[in-house]
Amino acid sequence: MMRRQDVGWWLLILPAFLLMTAFYVAPIAQVLAISFTEPTPGLGNYERLFTNESVQRVIITTLRICVITTTISLLLGYVLSYRIALASPAAQRWWILAVLVPLWISVLVRAFAWVTLLRRQGLVNETLMSTGLITEPLQLVWNEFGIVVGMVHYMVPYAVLPMLASMREIDPRLLAAARGLGAGRITIFAKIFLPLSLPGLLAAGVLVFIFTLGFYITPALLGGGKTLMVAEWIGLQILDLLRWGLGTMMATVLVVAILVTLAIFSRLVDMKRVFGGGGA
Amino acid sequence: MMSHQPGLFARGSAWVVALYLLLPISIILPVSMTDQRFLSLPREALSLQHYVTVFGSPEWLASIWQSFQIAVVSTAIAVVAGTLCAIGCWRLASRATNLVRALMLLPIIIPSIVYAVGLYRYFAGLDLLDRFMGVVLAHGVTGIPYVVITVSTALAAFDPRLEQAARGMGASLMQTLRWVILPRITPGILSGAIFAFIHSWDELVIVLFIASRDVFTLPRRIWDGINENLDPAMAAVAVLLVVFTTGLLLLDLALRRRRAE
Amino acid sequence: MSAAGHSLALRGLSKRYGSFTAVADVSLDVGQGEFLTLLGPSGSGKTTILMCIAGFVAPSEGAILLDGQDITPLPPERRDFGMVFQGYALFPHMTVAENVAFPLRVRKMGTAEREAKVRAALDLVQLSAFGERLPRQLSGGQQQRVALARALVFEPALLLLDEPLSALDKKLRAELQDELKALHRRIGRTFVNVTHDQEEALSLSDRVAILNHGKLIQQGAPAELYEAPRTRFVADFLGKSNFLAGTVQEVFAGGFAIGAGATRVVTASAELPPLGSQALLSLRPEKMALLAEGETAENTVTGSIASWSYLGAGYALNVATPDFGTLRITLPSWNAPIAPREGLPVRLGWSATASVPVLDDEP
Repeated sequence: MMRRQDVGWWLLILPAFLLMTAFYVAPIAQVLAISFTEPTPGLGNYERLFTNESVQRVIITTLRICVITTTISLLLGYVLSYRIALASPAAQRWWILAVLVPLWISVLVRAFAWVTLLRRQGLVNETLMSTGLITEPLQLVWNEFGIVVGMVHYMVPYAVLPMLASMREIDPRLLAAARGLGAGRITIFAKIFLPLSLPGLLAAGVLVFIFTLGFYITPALLGGGKTLMVAEWIGLQILDLLRWGLGTMMATVLVVAILVTLAIFSRLVDMKRVFGGGGA
Repeated sequence: MMSHQPGLFARGSAWVVALYLLLPISIILPVSMTDQRFLSLPREALSLQHYVTVFGSPEWLASIWQSFQIAVVSTAIAVVAGTLCAIGCWRLASRATNLVRALMLLPIIIPSIVYAVGLYRYFAGLDLLDRFMGVVLAHGVTGIPYVVITVSTALAAFDPRLEQAARGMGASLMQTLRWVILPRITPGILSGAIFAFIHSWDELVIVLFIASRDVFTLPRRIWDGINENLDPAMAAVAVLLVVFTTGLLLLDLALRRRRAE
Repeated sequence: MSAAGHSLALRGLSKRYGSFTAVADVSLDVGQGEFLTLLGPSGSGKTTILMCIAGFVAPSEGAILLDGQDITPLPPERRDFGMVFQGYALFPHMTVAENVAFPLRVRKMGTAEREAKVRAALDLVQLSAFGERLPRQLSGGQQQRVALARALVFEPALLLLDEPLSALDKKLRAELQDELKALHRRIGRTFVNVTHDQEEALSLSDRVAILNHGKLIQQGAPAELYEAPRTRFVADFLGKSNFLAGTVQEVFAGGFAIGAGATRVVTASAELPPLGSQALLSLRPEKMALLAEGETAENTVTGSIASWSYLGAGYALNVATPDFGTLRITLPSWNAPIAPREGLPVRLGWSATASVPVLDDEP
């Protein structure tokens, strides 16, 4: 119900709402529509999910890389968050900067840095060869390994933020009290810290997983066109093969997969943890 | 002090992770100053020749300038629309506004590739492909969530009675906005502006689909560079970008600290 | 400032949130220049009523009249009411003078006139020297006075106060109560105050309206409410009270008697209940006396001291009685007739007018 004195406030919402509807929701709705209408109306494109081997392969590759990336990112992110949460306020500021700077640095720059390091004539291979550890350069990039290294690098900061937020809510007196009661470091961690930080861990998992699912730039640059993930595959269908139906079908599947993941976990996790204070 | 401290193993591994995050980014600094003509560490001496190349290149400069213009205009769109929307949602705080706020977060949730594909088709119909205005609109709309989040966070700390007090004393909505609400949430708006700016400045996926020749942003040029010729000038551009982004972030942190005081 | 008091009337005011009723059919009149306090525990609906008057909450039913004019549909900014918010709601980014000038600025008043009015308002609350400070540089009491100046500077028809003193410590609260009362006398405006603090309500107001569960229970002058509470809730909420329950045994002109066990208690009352019905009497602890040997009173009860405490100005004794449970009695300590000690047998006495029949509205 809309009261008369609220009209002014609704007017404030209007510009963003119109912009978002006209220039965000509409194009995306069009993607969904095309997946059912081109090249012929019907569910033909979706049949490919069950019949086309290349479609299935790209989905399986994507899921595999996502699971690996999420697991490693959570592990590394947890270690980092744990250290930050227990640091002194002054030290925390530096640690957080160490997380935020990579978070906001262009993903292109980071992919470029990894290429510089990992390619055949890259710094890692050159160093290893000059020390005589290897004689042939290792294949470190333009394969799945390269993708995972680059994606984990991108995702660790996203994993840290929700985990750190939930760890900061843990009352430090609880840890002191447990110690006073005779618990050792490992017991304190396993019985108190870990269970209390679990909501943040879960939120971080959801966030990293859905971000990884639709990732384009890092897999495209570090996968070298050989290992295709969903996003790059969609781009290929549309830009190079002009198969709009297939591309938009996969895009729809991607959006549905993300929304379903969110819906499932929104019962378990407070979505504010995932998307910050203004979350839904 | 009884404060709990992580063990040696935990401390050590945290350092390793931090190095994993920071080292690859910092490696581009020496690479950009190499005296060689290909991507490598400096051999004989440090050299600024690749920076000279970048600043002497009309293509790089044009892309930087174009990216900057797009980022400024799209940030303005995102800040105005996002701030007003966050204020409206905050004040009305109903089930409907929760939905509106969820809608505003979509651009963060839905992968850019999906949006880019949709926009490619959508803008073709509106004759906005490869247009400054098209990229500005796309970046502006996708920048809204950053502003909505930071402004909502700032508003969460805002005492709603101040708004009531102003209205009770006879202030109109516009007067309340101008004199009471906006001055109190300026730091949140600035944070949002910074993030919306970085978002547009770094955005590549959308640009790959909706721009080709006339609009050729900095990320687009870097993308081509990485795919085609990996030369040390790329490293110089990367360093410039890192410095620029870090500067903006430090500015944001300074603003937040001032707000906390 | 002119003594331009306005009158306010609430007619059948109700506010429901879904199935929850915050305010139920409240009708109330506030006379010109009157100081009315809405008193009740938290959740009694008193703040909702004030927010309806201010215009921040739209009532589900009923009307709000200012000098007979219906103002119910007006938005808050068109009502011209001054309001002191709980916690004051001073704008933290404006100086004291800017805060006080705010209502004038939104009315687009000229600079010279504005400055003169701000100066006068700050004088009124004795803060002339603090105009350039920021609110956070002031003490709680000073902030409260800025809030008052800001609410009064535009000569509002009505001043609304939402728990104006609750953020202050006890001593300062007493001081500001006196100031607020003096201010009300001086400017002669109509004040509507909301509080959960019964002492504040009694000392400040011309009239008090007591609310519970969204309903108006009783209204009247403070002394009237204290001396003649109509219900158990009112007697219990305003000050402390003992309650004596029994069966009506005798009815006579101007009163009746109840019996419980072997004890009989008489009371003065205009309304007379039927014989044999259940009745409840309220009896204030300070209205009883300890009787010496041979001394008599209209009502007497014997018992022994179960526990006692020393409160400075007086003693509080809990006396166990056979028929009324434990009764609380307070004695001035400076001329207490006995030295209290646990187990000491005592005889309590009080007059018929001290025990007031009340409606048992709370089990």
